[in-house]
Amino acid sequence: MSWARAATARLSGLFRRTRLERELDDEVRFHLDMQIEDNLKAGMNQSEARLAALRSFGAIEPMKERYRERRAFALVETTAQDIRYAVRTLRKSLTFTTTAVATLALAIGANTAMFSVVNAVLLRQLPYRAPEQLAMLWTGMPGQNLQGRPAYQTVEEWRRRSKSFADLAVVDGVSMTLTDSDGAEKISGVRISPNFFPLLGIQPLQGRSFSAEDADERRRVVLISHAFWQTRFGGSADAIGASIILDGRPSQIIGILPAGSNVPGFGADVWEPHTLFADWDTRRVSRNAGSWIVFGRLRPNVTVDRAQSEMSAIARVLDEELPAAERNRGISVVPLSLYVVGSRSRLALWMLTGAVFCVLLIAAANIASLSLARGVGRAREMAIRAALGASPLRIVRQLLAESVTLAAISGVLGSLLAFALIRLIRAFGPDDLARLNEASLDLRVLGWALGISLVTGILVGLAPAFTTFRRNGRPSGEEGGRSVSGGLASRRIRRALVVGEFALAIVLMAGAGLLIRSWWRVEGIDPGFRPERVLLMNITTNALVAPARRVNFYADVLEQVESLHGVESAGMIGDLFISGDAEPIVTTEGDGGITSGRLRLRLDEVSERLFATLGTPLHRGRFFSATDGPDSPPVAIVNDAMARHLWPGRDPVGRRIKFGPQDSNQPWFTVVGVVGDMRRQGLETEPIPQLFQPLTQNPSGNEILLVRTSANNPLAMVGTVQAAVRRVERNLPLYSVTTLEDSLGIYLAQRRFLTSLLIGFSLIALLMAAIGIYGLIFYSVAARTRELGIRMAIGAQAGDIFRMIVGEGLQLSLTGLAIGIVGALLVGRAGSSLLFGVTATDPLTFATVALLLTAVATAACYFPARRAMKIEPVVALRHT
Amino acid sequence: MGSRRTDKADVLQGTLILLVLRTLAALGPLHGYGIARRIEQISKDLLRLNQGTLYPALLRMEQEGWIASKWGASEQNRKAKFYSITAAGRRRLAKETAEWKRMSSTIDRFLGFEPENLAGERG
Repeated sequence: MSWARAATARLSGLFRRTRLERELDDEVRFHLDMQIEDNLKAGMNQSEARLAALRSFGAIEPMKERYRERRAFALVETTAQDIRYAVRTLRKSLTFTTTAVATLALAIGANTAMFSVVNAVLLRQLPYRAPEQLAMLWTGMPGQNLQGRPAYQTVEEWRRRSKSFADLAVVDGVSMTLTDSDGAEKISGVRISPNFFPLLGIQPLQGRSFSAEDADERRRVVLISHAFWQTRFGGSADAIGASIILDGRPSQIIGILPAGSNVPGFGADVWEPHTLFADWDTRRVSRNAGSWIVFGRLRPNVTVDRAQSEMSAIARVLDEELPAAERNRGISVVPLSLYVVGSRSRLALWMLTGAVFCVLLIAAANIASLSLARGVGRAREMAIRAALGASPLRIVRQLLAESVTLAAISGVLGSLLAFALIRLIRAFGPDDLARLNEASLDLRVLGWALGISLVTGILVGLAPAFTTFRRNGRPSGEEGGRSVSGGLASRRIRRALVVGEFALAIVLMAGAGLLIRSWWRVEGIDPGFRPERVLLMNITTNALVAPARRVNFYADVLEQVESLHGVESAGMIGDLFISGDAEPIVTTEGDGGITSGRLRLRLDEVSERLFATLGTPLHRGRFFSATDGPDSPPVAIVNDAMARHLWPGRDPVGRRIKFGPQDSNQPWFTVVGVVGDMRRQGLETEPIPQLFQPLTQNPSGNEILLVRTSANNPLAMVGTVQAAVRRVERNLPLYSVTTLEDSLGIYLAQRRFLTSLLIGFSLIALLMAAIGIYGLIFYSVAARTRELGIRMAIGAQAGDIFRMIVGEGLQLSLTGLAIGIVGALLVGRAGSSLLFGVTATDPLTFATVALLLTAVATAACYFPARRAMKIEPVVALRHT
Repeated sequence: MGSRRTDKADVLQGTLILLVLRTLAALGPLHGYGIARRIEQISKDLLRLNQGTLYPALLRMEQEGWIASKWGASEQNRKAKFYSITAAGRRRLAKETAEWKRMSSTIDRFLGFEPENLAGERG
């Protein structure tokens, strides 16, 4: 029993210097004083009396130590007794125990799994040095969520003027071709200023990071990712100093980064100095060319808010130095953690956490109600125990021990369940939710599971404990007798619990309803193209095909693919789905002459039949054709949004547009056509202005090949299409093969995750609320058999009884409904940014949910009410 | 719970408990010193205990629910803790008393036999 002693020692420590300790001192002092007094009376002198008193008392400290041990040990001992007794009681009523454990384990498991997601995605710090000091800087007004990218000179200005930031680093992603003995392959790279990794606080695992000289002298040196190192070099130390061919030219590996050092959203295979862009000389000096993503580290004790107000002031000063058209319109400072997981994802996760917690509350209410029903039956047991000398506190502790033991078992099972659920969530959760794959059962999550289990246990045990001692603090034997219709206090609490369950259930149901309506709205949106039966793949010609040859090369590829059986048409576009929010300066010809200004727009090169392949309609003018060759005058097609923005109410065809301010030497594009808007940032985002130029006039190295097939499953055509492309160039890197429907679906993944989980939670809540009301009414009918018998004996009809019973249930569910609707309106307002195309007060949703819940409540009361109707008055009266 | 170490103390404590319960049953609420004095008086100082050992015993009895305690004023109007016997304590006392009597009569009888009687008994 060394554990007992250890526990005793630990616990006795807790008691030192408490009130109890002072009382012991008082008691001992009183004893000694009394003895001394008696000794004095017996004729001893003061010191004799004192010594004799101490002698007869014996050693004081060892006695106190024994006293303390005894005090602490009793706690351990009685707790152990309570638990042993609890286990015995629970084993005796296996049905109750199984039901309760299964219900609570489910709820605790779901809560634990959900918390592990919140922990991984929202609570766990990013793996950088002092991550709370890291922020992203964009151009654009703060709060508008525009992620405009500044030019290099602009960043330099920010750096010079800002005092809030210790350092700023610039980053831009590139797609590169890696050539080795196996052929060519596309990899992703990020070009960074040398201070990027020091700013994050990341040290290379091996080798070194970039130096200022690497950047200044534009050395072809690279850092490689841990994954790249493992797959390409098998984790060998030889990688340092080795040479790899990137975009046709050799680069030397100088360092390897540790695993997990990727910034979410910037996962890359290789990193290069930011000066390696071919147009670096232009990028360096221009205020227009090149657009950078900026990472900043705040100085210690500078808040994001303070940095934001400083940067806003700097933005105003900088803008005053520029012509109106070239102004950046603000700088927005966004904490890195908020960039990694956006505010909408955060809100969605908290909402889900709240929802699953509601499920736990409903489950706990049901079990509390069930133990109340048992508690009435056990009132006699309690009364006997009290009569035998058990203190009220002891009985309350006994009841709590039972429910806490119950919850602890559920907690263990729930954690096991959570382990499985976390795997499910990681497998099926949205890919674009950063760090979701880090969700795990760590100590914090297990602590949470333990915490909610204990709280659940106490909540479940409190209600029976409370009703047991409601009367004069002593349990009364009579309440357990059948003469009283089963514990009034207990019934009142159980009714309140059912009302609470319905209130919570309707909040969840209303939330799920609003999300379902949003889902339908989103699904009903026309993306501006027909996504079915279209195959999508990326191709990279950077290293393989010189720019001069690309026009013909692309034409050959398209011809080969379109000649295939089963292919309706094929097209190419620079990039289809976009995230960039560049706000370049554009100069346009309008009715009022030539004007310039910043415009948030997207430019892509497209092949002749791209729009036909996508099924995007032509609204004015013409598509590109064979006449728009490399040497013919630059032409462009704009989308509706751009036409509306630049030439409202006018025909854009024939007008001209160019990049840069009025005096820029960029070429003028003549608009030849207007196409419908395509939602290229996901279905829920309004299309931004889009500008298209012929592929022939800008044959860049990375293109997306789109193939509209006549097959129902376009993926079946992948092999054929790849073979056709490789007939033109055997080594051409082809990657990210998918269907258009799937790529579009990625944007819906988070909404699907949120909606389906909330539907699941609300159905469980509804089921549990239904079981709760069923149990209550069933029990009430059973307990009132005699009363119902009397009623029938004096003339009540079966129908009256039926109405009375169902009415009792409906009264409870409607009360819950009323409370729940108020709650749902409040929650809906808080979560309204998660809705789409439906307001948080949508009457249709609320009416449907209210009707559904009432129907379920009625059904749950129907069966007990039927039972009540069948009561034989004679039997009922005799039975009691 | 027991290690060997406490066996002797347990025997002593069992006796002590009986004495305390008996005292409280006879005299009503008493403080610790009063109980100790009473036990010494009754036993005519034959049973001299370390008075201090009384307190852990009182705590245990209180935890078992045999006695209850309450702070009150002593005869000299000093603050003192008074112990009183509970219903459970009275039942315990009855049981302990009966057991003690049975035990002591067994021992008495045993001690009453002469060795030859024992032998005769065996023969």
